[in-house]
Amino acid sequence: MVDELTYVYCISDSPLLVDTISDQKNLKCLKFHAFYAFVKQVSPDEFSEENLNKNFADLPWIEIHARNHIRIIGEVMKSSIVIPFKFGTIFNSEESLGKFIQKYSSSLNENLKNIKGKEEWSVKIYCNYTLLNEQITELSEDVRNMEEEILKSKPGKSFLLKRKKVELIEKEVEKVVQLSGQVCYDELTTLSELTQINSLLSTELSDRTDSMILNISCFVNQGRVNEFLGAIGELQKKYKKIGFDMATAGPWPPFSFTSIKEK
Amino acid sequence: MEENVINQSKDITIVEILDRVLNKGVVITGDIVISVAEIDLVYVGLKLLVTSVETMQEKRLTIVKPDQEKK
Repeated sequence: MVDELTYVYCISDSPLLVDTISDQKNLKCLKFHAFYAFVKQVSPDEFSEENLNKNFADLPWIEIHARNHIRIIGEVMKSSIVIPFKFGTIFNSEESLGKFIQKYSSSLNENLKNIKGKEEWSVKIYCNYTLLNEQITELSEDVRNMEEEILKSKPGKSFLLKRKKVELIEKEVEKVVQLSGQVCYDELTTLSELTQINSLLSTELSDRTDSMILNISCFVNQGRVNEFLGAIGELQKKYKKIGFDMATAGPWPPFSFTSIKEK
Repeated sequence: MEENVINQSKDITIVEILDRVLNKGVVITGDIVISVAEIDLVYVGLKLLVTSVETMQEKRLTIVKPDQEKK
């Protein structure tokens, strides 16, 4: 069994004095041809495949290491282009990492070329359904028509219509969410080079009371970032009254827009 | 130096971070790598997350994607 393993954070196009990243012992910047790999030597006691799998069942352990993983990449990203690696990517040795880089050099170069001058931003749209339900009469002609019909109807028919109205409101609310969500997505897509739709997170995970309806990553040209953020601000204003709220974060390391392919 | 989301905020939720570092980024397979974190294994320890994601998929918008080939 090897004494040490090589944990990889990211590959970059330029070097960085790792001493500038505080409190990081054993962090190294290794040069392989035109690439710089940011690595750390780790112990098999913690990071061998078997032990790593055990640790993956330990949420506090994951939290510490995942936060550290992204923090190191974020530090490198301040001054260079980075290809971020998935958390827990470990090589047997620096030599095997070197072989990997050599094998995939054209794909790595292509990634560096593709991500140059672009930033990854995450946009999450939430909907306050209580607020939207309150607005639905104003927004939906069908709901208004049904309310009028209820008023004109005799008690028996009125009772049935009221039950139908509940179903109609639910349908109309979903329609508004769908249409408005699509408008927001289309607008952000126009301002992005690429977008990726991500999984939605529940209210307990997002730590919010409203519901996430869209979770996307946008790859935006640096020259258009202000326009992109401005557009989100406008969408936020426009859709606030129907209960939409947008949470934007970035720039992230380009996790969503990098991938390694065979030659 | 350019600021990014990681430096700006100490309050990024762990879910937001895991959503990126476990689901995305360069994934390597091959005999030179001894271990690559498989997302399925991670989710064993994060049952809440996986259940939540499954439930939420039912509510997902049906987004119509335009042709994104801008190259």
